[in-house]
Amino acid sequence: MRARIIGAAVLVGAALAVVASTASGGTQATNSITVWLQTDAQATNWEPIVKAANAAFQKDHPGVAVNVQYQTWGNHLQKFDATLAGGNAPDVIEMGNTEMTKYMAAGAFQDLSSEKASIPNSSTWLEGLAASGRFGGKLYGVPYYAGSRVVTYRTDLFKKAGIKAPATLAQFTAAAKKLAAQNKQKGFSPVYIAGTDWYVAMSFVYDYGGSIAKQVSGKWKGTLASPRSIAGLTAYKSFFGAVSKASKTTDEAHPNPYDVYAQGQAGSMIGPAWFSCCVGDKYKASTAQFVMPSRTVGQPLPGFLGGSDLAVPIGGNKALAVDWIKAYTSNASMTALRAIGNIPNTTSLLGSSVNERAAKRSWFVPTAKNWVNVENGNILRNMLAQILTGRLTVKQAAQSASDNITSVLNANV
Amino acid sequence: MRRRAWDAVGIALFVVLVFPVYWMVSTAFKPDDEVNSLTPTWFPTSPTLDHFRDAMARPYFWDTVRNSLIVVCAAVLFSIVLAFLAAVALAKYRFTGRKLFIVAMIGILMLPPAGLVIPLYVVLARYHLTNTLTGVTLTYLTFVLPFAVWTLRGFILGIPKDLEEAAMVDGSSRVGAFVRILLPLVAPGLVATSVFAFITSWNEYIFASVLLSDQSNQTVTVWLSYFYGTSRNTDWGALMAASTLTAVPVIIFFLLVQRRIMFGLTSGAVRG
Amino acid sequence: MAPDPAPHAAAVAAGAPSLGSRRRRPLDARRVARGAVPYLLITPVVVAIGAILGYPLYHLVSLSFQRYGLPELIQRQGSWVGLDNYRSVLEDRIFWDTLVRTVVFTAANVGLTMVVGTLIALLLLRLSTPVRILLTSGLVLVWSMPAVVAVQVWYWMTNFQNGVLNYILTEVGFGDYFQHDWYASTFSQLSMVTLLIVWGAIPFVTVTVYAGLAQVPRELVEAAQMDGAGPLRVFRDVTFPTLKPILLILTSLSIIWDFGVFTQPYLLIGASHVDASNYLMGVYVYIEGYAHSNFGRGAAISILMLLMVAAMSIPYVRRMVRMGDTA
Repeated sequence: MRARIIGAAVLVGAALAVVASTASGGTQATNSITVWLQTDAQATNWEPIVKAANAAFQKDHPGVAVNVQYQTWGNHLQKFDATLAGGNAPDVIEMGNTEMTKYMAAGAFQDLSSEKASIPNSSTWLEGLAASGRFGGKLYGVPYYAGSRVVTYRTDLFKKAGIKAPATLAQFTAAAKKLAAQNKQKGFSPVYIAGTDWYVAMSFVYDYGGSIAKQVSGKWKGTLASPRSIAGLTAYKSFFGAVSKASKTTDEAHPNPYDVYAQGQAGSMIGPAWFSCCVGDKYKASTAQFVMPSRTVGQPLPGFLGGSDLAVPIGGNKALAVDWIKAYTSNASMTALRAIGNIPNTTSLLGSSVNERAAKRSWFVPTAKNWVNVENGNILRNMLAQILTGRLTVKQAAQSASDNITSVLNANV
Repeated sequence: MRRRAWDAVGIALFVVLVFPVYWMVSTAFKPDDEVNSLTPTWFPTSPTLDHFRDAMARPYFWDTVRNSLIVVCAAVLFSIVLAFLAAVALAKYRFTGRKLFIVAMIGILMLPPAGLVIPLYVVLARYHLTNTLTGVTLTYLTFVLPFAVWTLRGFILGIPKDLEEAAMVDGSSRVGAFVRILLPLVAPGLVATSVFAFITSWNEYIFASVLLSDQSNQTVTVWLSYFYGTSRNTDWGALMAASTLTAVPVIIFFLLVQRRIMFGLTSGAVRG
Repeated sequence: MAPDPAPHAAAVAAGAPSLGSRRRRPLDARRVARGAVPYLLITPVVVAIGAILGYPLYHLVSLSFQRYGLPELIQRQGSWVGLDNYRSVLEDRIFWDTLVRTVVFTAANVGLTMVVGTLIALLLLRLSTPVRILLTSGLVLVWSMPAVVAVQVWYWMTNFQNGVLNYILTEVGFGDYFQHDWYASTFSQLSMVTLLIVWGAIPFVTVTVYAGLAQVPRELVEAAQMDGAGPLRVFRDVTFPTLKPILLILTSLSIIWDFGVFTQPYLLIGASHVDASNYLMGVYVYIEGYAHSNFGRGAAISILMLLMVAAMSIPYVRRMVRMGDTA
């Protein structure tokens, strides 16, 4: 016992020594900047791009170190709130595009309008992404990268059923029936869509001309109960019923669609383009992608344009931060980001990969400062679960969700 | 015969309780297609060390293990010593403010951590202790101490009075009686409390994740969250392997101290 | 300061090796020193906790009376609104539904944990050494899993698509559980969470009770058994009274933890399934207060939670405090 106490005391002494030598605390020296990126950028094919940007930045600012700290989507906002309260927020932060409005409205970021002209490609920014960085006529977020939704499918199963990439939703439904007839194993989905995948469901709504909410003279009004939105929701319900055996109440990460696909239980799946990474060795060779069709020929289904922006929190070193952002969103950087499967932030570099073609028609969430609360409250997911399980009619569920959204978006926080 | 029946129950209980742990460890050894198979594979037929390699190759693995060990050892050591002193005061002495102190101890445990995260961050920022292991250790102390005081007081109270008095009649001073007779009796309680302090500190996530933003400074549970915190692929095999690795120090610690608990039972209450 | 009850104990307390008349010593340095001893003993704890938690506690209380959202957080300045936050919470139907749900949930969890944990501790006494070591090691293994990991494993085992649980239930013959969704209804979700929490909490209760059993005086047990008392009688008359302080502590701690539990329900039910129909208080305060960045309201809910837990633990706390009085 005594030996253990001595051992522990030695450890503690060592610990204090270590801590004393590495204490960085919350003070920000002007010879370093702190950058918060999401851990997506830590992937083996992505991190070199970050490092290249750091090197380019340091060429112009030789004495300044770049401290990149990778965050997870799960709690990065809570950490950000804590640093804002504690006065040691990072100099650059990556924010999801749906997260921006709330923080812009609260005054969390520095105004970058005067720097806009000097940021690479700012005149050709992808509008769908750039809109999320603007608030009250000012620029707060620089578009970083985007991703749309495509259909990842089994070329061998399609070939066996004699199907080609469908050009309309109706064709897709017919193709799904053929796939179901040929793949009778229990739980097989010709098209795997998770029941409460609101990104896919809302694409149907927008395809029919509906929307989630609109701003009318300064106040938000939920519009899911409009005739067009209801038509879209009804179309989603029938499509889902015909093509997907996924759980009606679970979301698109439980389970991961690519895990279902890798088990051989899906003929195709709707999701981000990077799904093709994780389809398992068995089906890697027989996997390809096509653009999700809409109800009209020649038009893709409007896809949710997911993506991230880069912002400079208040208290950060604006000059250095903007320079780093310039280095990271330079042409070289964007070309490299595009090469690993992302959609670049500028139309000048847009190519014709499946991902990029799908982004030609996109929709985005209402840019309300309380939008995050709608997502947190799972209002859309609950509505979809109620519709798909038949607990409520489409009209009832949509009306209730719409009213809910109206009150949440207009709540005075 | 009786003992055999109890043993059977014990073994059955073991199987049921440990199954999730077994599942985690066996998944860590399964190749990817078995991890994701539609029907479960009970025993990895072609075990692989790939996931363990992947897990250890992830950035900062050894750093985070070291960080966790430092934080945990410091937290356990300080909490046991400080709490023991306070518990003795509460159990053996009468003083004004005693009741208030006891109630305050348990009151602190009733605070929901979610409410304290940001105010605590602000305080530590003022002391320049954010992003340091010291800050995290001090935070853990504030939550482990009340629990330790509360529990140790119970253990000390549970010692039958006549033993203490018997020791004093023996002619030893109060302190002497205490150390020789009572300390061994309270030892199982000290051990149980230190195990709790160890495990709580090792497994804590919320405060560690908010207080430590630099990956080289992070503790093991925060490091683990990066396996499933990405919006991209969750590598289940590597996550299970990493989880298995992070459980090892706890198991070692307990194996080291568990003999004390066994001894407590066999040493008996009264000598001679 | 109350006088010591027994003369010889007082003499010993005065540090004298023999009985005698030291008791009537006038106030002197030693007496003062003795009186200061308990305060000295608790000072380190008070300092450690006070330095770190003092301001946050004050801040939490003052936040609950302010309007404090994200803009206020950034400007470090809130505006005083008196009891508005409390009023808005107490008028919220969701708050009351959540409260009732959480109380039932807590009762179920604490009950299961304490009963099963104590039974296993008693079982450990009756096992042969190899099996006892096996079971204790099993408990340690369970205990050593961090909550965040346990949730991942539990989810993996009960998931809709290929969870082991569904497979076992179907194979054993309980019915067709192929791709049964265990997270479809509130009751099902919370049952899964209960199983997970109880499973994780049993080791701690068992180990602590087992350590407490070590303090049960052997000779009293043997005496009772020789008197012809059966195991139940022995438990009631000898074991239970000795275990009482520990059982009280464990129950009160379990109530506190299970009432405010956050990690397991939030991660197991999933951020995308959590909503007003399955809120538990720990999740409710996190979402309504902090995910929505409404820190003033979150603080008010935290204070209310504190008061409620305090109310629920009063009987235990009072008994624990009184127990010290007879010591």
